[in-house]
Parts: sequence; C-alpha cells; structure tokens
Amino acid sequence: MADGGPVPAWRRTGSRRRLLLLFIVLIPTIISSNTMARLLPDRGSILLDTFLVAVFTTLFAWISVGFWTSIAGLVILLTKKDAYRVSRACDGLDLSIADRSARTAILIPIYNEEVKRVIAGLRTTYHSVRETGSLEWFDFFLLSDTTDPDVWVEEEEAWHRFCIEESAFGRVFYRKRTSNTKRKSGNVADFCRRWGKSYRYMAVFDADSIMTGETLVRLVQIMEARPDIGILQTPPKAVNRETLIARVQQFANHVYGPLLAAGLHFWQLGDAQYCGHNALIRVEPFMKHCELPRLPGKGPLSGDILSHDYVESALMCRAGYGIWLTYDLKGSWEETPPTLIDELKRDRRWCQGNLQHTRLLFTRGFFPAHRALFINGILSYGSALLWLIFLTINSAQAISEVLFEPVYMPILRKFLPELPVWRPHWAISLLGSTTLLLFLPKFLGAFPILLADFKARLYGGKIRLFLSILLEVVLSMILTPIRMVFHSLFVVSTLLGKSVGWGTQSRDDRGTTWREALRAHWWGSLLGIGWGAVVYWITPSFFWWISPITFSLALSAPISVFTGRAAVGRLFRKAGLFLIPEEVELPPPLRALEDNLSRPDPFFPFPFSRKKGFLRAVVDPLVHSLHTSLLLRFRRGAPSRERARDRIVEKALACGPDSLTRKERMALLRAPHHLRELHRKVWRLGDEKAAARWGLVPPEKK
Amino acid sequence: MTFPAERPEATPAMNTPEQRAAGDRVLLYVRGLGIRPARGLALAARSLEEAPSSPEGAMDALERLLREEGFSPDLLDRGGRRISSFPPLNRTVMVAEEMDRLPWRTSLVRFLRRWRRELFGGKTNG
Repeated sequence: MADGGPVPAWRRTGSRRRLLLLFIVLIPTIISSNTMARLLPDRGSILLDTFLVAVFTTLFAWISVGFWTSIAGLVILLTKKDAYRVSRACDGLDLSIADRSARTAILIPIYNEEVKRVIAGLRTTYHSVRETGSLEWFDFFLLSDTTDPDVWVEEEEAWHRFCIEESAFGRVFYRKRTSNTKRKSGNVADFCRRWGKSYRYMAVFDADSIMTGETLVRLVQIMEARPDIGILQTPPKAVNRETLIARVQQFANHVYGPLLAAGLHFWQLGDAQYCGHNALIRVEPFMKHCELPRLPGKGPLSGDILSHDYVESALMCRAGYGIWLTYDLKGSWEETPPTLIDELKRDRRWCQGNLQHTRLLFTRGFFPAHRALFINGILSYGSALLWLIFLTINSAQAISEVLFEPVYMPILRKFLPELPVWRPHWAISLLGSTTLLLFLPKFLGAFPILLADFKARLYGGKIRLFLSILLEVVLSMILTPIRMVFHSLFVVSTLLGKSVGWGTQSRDDRGTTWREALRAHWWGSLLGIGWGAVVYWITPSFFWWISPITFSLALSAPISVFTGRAAVGRLFRKAGLFLIPEEVELPPPLRALEDNLSRPDPFFPFPFSRKKGFLRAVVDPLVHSLHTSLLLRFRRGAPSRERARDRIVEKALACGPDSLTRKERMALLRAPHHLRELHRKVWRLGDEKAAARWGLVPPEKK
Repeated sequence: MTFPAERPEATPAMNTPEQRAAGDRVLLYVRGLGIRPARGLALAARSLEEAPSSPEGAMDALERLLREEGFSPDLLDRGGRRISSFPPLNRTVMVAEEMDRLPWRTSLVRFLRRWRRELFGGKTNG
C-alpha cells in the first residue's frame, strides 16, 4: 500500500481494534497501579516506591495483553464469526492449483541436523504433496549451512539416496553453502538470489517442520486469490516429543494455542508476524524488499539480525503487503525443545535477536503493529528482568521494615503522625485480578474443546483435560522462576556485550544428565538458597510469600533433570495427562513420519559407522564419487592453498583420519582433486595398521 | 558383517599376508561399489589374477578393469554430465533495505499521520 492510496478495509478495522485493546489494557492497568501505589507502606523512599509501581505497571499491562488476546480468540472460536478469516479465499475450492506458473519452492534450511530426521520429514511432506496430485507445482530444496564434515557428507548421501528411491531428481535439490553469512536468513536469501526468480512462492520450513500437501496447496490457493498478501503464516502444532517438559509444552500449545492464534489474528489482521517457518512467502516482494542489512556498529546489538522473521514481516508490510495468520488451517507441525536446558539455549539466541529490535523500533515506514510486535518481543525477555527487579525490591523492602525503625513523623512540622494503614481487601483484589489475568486464559482454552468441538476425548476426557490444565499451571509456576533468572541473565549479558554462537538445537529425547544440569543451574540454585536464607533469617513471615520462587530456584537442577526425562513424560501419558489429539489418534502424516524414521538403512560393507561422513567421502567409492562429482569446481586453487592441502593429505596418510582437525577435514572435502588423490592412496595402503585406520581391515584382523 | 577374506575359496590362492590383504581390499572395494555380487567377484578375481602380490597392484588392476567396464569416477546424469544437486542458476540480486539511521521525531510524526488517516480519513477498497 503506497502512501496516499486507498486504505484496505481490514487496516481500518485493525486500527480500531488496536485502539480498543489499548483502552482495555490501559484503564485496568492505571487502576491497578494506583491500588498498588496506595498499598505500598510509605517509608519515605519515594524513588523506590515509584520504581516499584513503574515495574508493576509494565508487567500488569504486559499480562493484560495476553489476557485480552485470549478473550478475543475465545469469542472468535466460539461464535465462528470472522469477516476477515483469510482461509475464506479457498472455501469450496478443490485441491488443485489453476495457474501452472504458480510454482512453489519448499525450503528446508539445515544446520548440523540429524540427517535421518530431516529426510524422514522431507519424505513425509513429499509424499503428502504427491497425494494431492499437485507435485509438479512444488520443488524441494535442502539448504545446508552445515559445518560438521561428517554431517555434510551424510546429507549429500541421504539426498542422493532419496532421489533414487523416489525418482525425485529434478524435483528435490540439495545446496551446501560455503560460508554461513547471515545464518538462516542468509541461507534463504542465497536461495532467492540463485533460483528465486523461478518461483512465485516459497514455503520456509524448519528442520523439524512437517506440513501436509493439502495445507500447502490451500496456502497457495489463498495467495493466488489474494495478491495483497506477502506472507501467510500457519500456526504449527507442537508434537512428537516425549519428555515431560516437552509434553507439557505440546499440551499448552494445543489447548491455549488456538485461542491465542485466533486472538492475535483479531488484533493484528494483516499486520501479523512471520515466525520464520511453516509459512508461505510471495517471493518477488520478499526479494525486492526483505533483504536484511547488517546493523552498523559493534557489539551484540549490531551485526547480523538474529530474529530475522519479525523484521522481514515488518519490511514486507512496509512494502504494502499483508502478513496473515491462517489460525484455522491444520496440517502444520513442529517440534519443541526436549529439555529445559535446550529451551534456554534457544532462548539465549532469541533474546539477543529480540533485543536487537530496540534499534529498529523507529525505523521509517514500519507499521505501528510491527513496532508493537518488536516491543512485545523485547518484553518477552525484558519482562523477566523487570520481574526479578520487582521481587528483589520487594524482598529489600520487607527486610528494611524489620531492620529500620518506622518513621511516623516524616515532616517535623506536622502535628499528627503518619501511621501505616494496611488495606487487606485492596491487596486481595489486586492479587486476585493479577491471578485472573495470568491463569484464566488457560482455563478458557478448554472451552472451545468442551463446547464447540466436543473433542475432549482427544485430550483424555473432560476430567483429565481439567487436571492437565491444573498440573500445567503448577509446573509453569515451578519453571517460571528458573526461566526468569536465566532470561534476566541473558538480557544483562547481551547488554554487556556478550554475543551468542549458533548452536544446533537438540531434537531428540535424550534428556538432561545430572552433570549438565548442575553445570547449567548451580548459580541459580545458590541464588535461590542465598535469597531464601537471608529473607528467612531476617523476616520469616515474608519468607513464605517468596518461598515458591526460592524453592524453585534452589531445586532447579533436579527440576531440570526430572522434567527432561522421557520416562516421566511417558508415565504422565500412561495416566492420560497432558494428552494431545496427535497422541490419541496419530494423523496419517505423523504416522508416515514414524514409518519413515524407522526405514532400515541400506547395506553398508565397511567396518565403521555410516555416520562417519568424512571417512566415507574418502573410502566409500560411491559416496566419494558422489561428493567429488557434486563439488563441480575442479579448478585448482592458489599454489599456497594447494600446498597446504598437499600437507593435509600427507598428514592423513601418515597418521589416519582421526589426526585431522575439523578444519582440515572441511578443507579436504572442499578439494576434489586432493580427495581423489587421498582416495586412491588410501585404497593402496600396504601397511595393515595404516589401512585399519581407514576402516579397510576386517575388525578381527585389527 | 562377514569379510570375503574369511572364505578363501572365493578368491584365487592367497598364501602370503600381502596377497590376503590384496584379496580383502579388492573385494571390499567392489562391495562398496554396490555392483551385482557375481560381477563384483569376477572383477575382483581378474584383478587378483593380474596383480595378486600387493593391495597397490591389485587396486591398480581393479581400477583399470573398472574403467574398461565403463565405470566413471564421476556420477553422471542421463545426459552424461557430472551430476548436480541443484537446478540451473537463475540469478538476480537482493539489495538490503535501508534501516537503523532515522531520527525518532520523523518517525513519530509519520506514525501519528498514518494513524489519523487510517482511523478517520481516506477511502477504503473493501
């Protein structure tokens, strides 16, 4: 929408709805903050009280937004009346795409992922698209940023085998970038620069994403009918994990998620956000307007934009295209981190990315809704620090009340003392309203299940559904203080200039060991014990108010281990708790995923693990041939580089593959001539010991 | 996994350790190539007949035989070209958007103007 052009009807409705949201958030916030201010005991510390009220105000407004979003979502889901439901565009259409030029690339960016899982997911989506009869409109791209030499070779081999098994040459492609510039967003941009012009749409996946063919075709149909849409985001459902924490997240995602998604749609309409995956993007405007710059300067808030999805959606909107959330489309899944530590590792990265958005808040042309989303993202982590400050000040005040004499005559000229007045009904009202805002949306989430869809059976029945919500509330109360201290640490360390690396997310249910838990949580436990001990020593009556937080922190290591166990998660499943529909009735695509994951590996004659990709690229004749053929660049490098590679080959022959560093292995894998030379020489090794290092001697003879 | 060397009858006479190593090596190689067992064994046997005394000689012979049989060190597509894992390039450019250098005041004025327009003025298209 260019400046001065006609304003879309949804935009005006959206602005009015957001104005309404502003009022219904601000008015109760002002009233509660006023109550809070009056409740604080006046000890003459106006600055401290003002700060406390300011923090409370921010946090209250923050949780109010979530509350009203759930209410709006509930109204939409129960009444089923939504004039702006974007999926209307494909109502009544059969599963076909009319325009032959409406081609879609399905992008699966990967980075040192479990290859078997990636290929199983690809196969599931591929089969599902084929079943719709629209396969010819879709191409699949595995876009690798992998830095592990073993995984690189495994990816190539898996892609090749997939293409042979499915006759998918020319339909499924694999691309390995040499440099990981701008990470995932750079990987997608690299695709756009090379092949973007060949496609009208691209569906961006995560390594663990699954989308059905039907959903993909519907998304294309909606985009075809609505040329004003730039990005269509589906709400992916969390599935497939078995650890307790992941099962609880899956349950929350299924019960509260639809409410929140519908509510967000109500406020945002075409100013929704792109979540970075499980979405369909119109390629041309994306290429024209959504390339991300590096943020100038030094430090963690500059450089590559980490949380690129929010910024890309803001740029797309700025270019005049809508971003819509198809809250009612099914057939889109993702997986959650299996343990608390994995979740926190991901949060560390997201935290830095979201804090970078402080620099983009006032960028020219961004829509207010996207600025609000930036603030929302910043507060996702900033609120933890505010809450920690709030609790610390509260504890400090409680301690000061014991340690210092109360001042009843703050102004000497006054004749009457100022006696502290305790208004318990105000305090209870405030506590009650805060609790309502926090927990009511969780119970409201059950309403559409109980009333509208009659699907309680898929959640273990009405009683178990209710019990699961109660237990989820308890578990989130236990986990929230641990998340609070970690998120606070992330915010502070980011602001102090500590940057994050690009870690691979764990995608299996291996759990957390005690050693990992103690290494991650020792300082949080010490903080909890110290905090609790000091408060208990000085003011035991206040200790019980703060005890849920200090107990949780003190026990954070065992909590982390316990919630990360798949056995515990399965135990709850056996009891019918935290059930989700996919666990009760496995949908065909997820069943296909399971089958694909359990496909047997093909025959492998060598006496070492097939996961040793580098070794296979040197030794296994087929893999070697595939790898060197795919490199294409058979030009010789600069003489100095060639000499360096010669030395690596000599070292490899003399000392075996284990003597090579990861960098040396990558250097060899990028040099087809040297790899061919090494392949020839290794197979001709006369010394049995040297040959054994390369897996060329039967195990019995070693 | 059973190695061919454990079945001496599968290969020509292999009396010395070098000969046995050569036998193991060529048999492992043809198994790694994934060709039909009968054909693989025949190739291995021929290469061992030609140069049975060391892995190096046997592998040289096997390589020559494979070349004669039409094996290419490259994986080729139907058109006889080296296999490629991606489609032909269709290049274009992406230029990064201008960001992060704007004064706050201008943005605020634009924000208020846009909101006023959306709420109270202008035509709609829907």
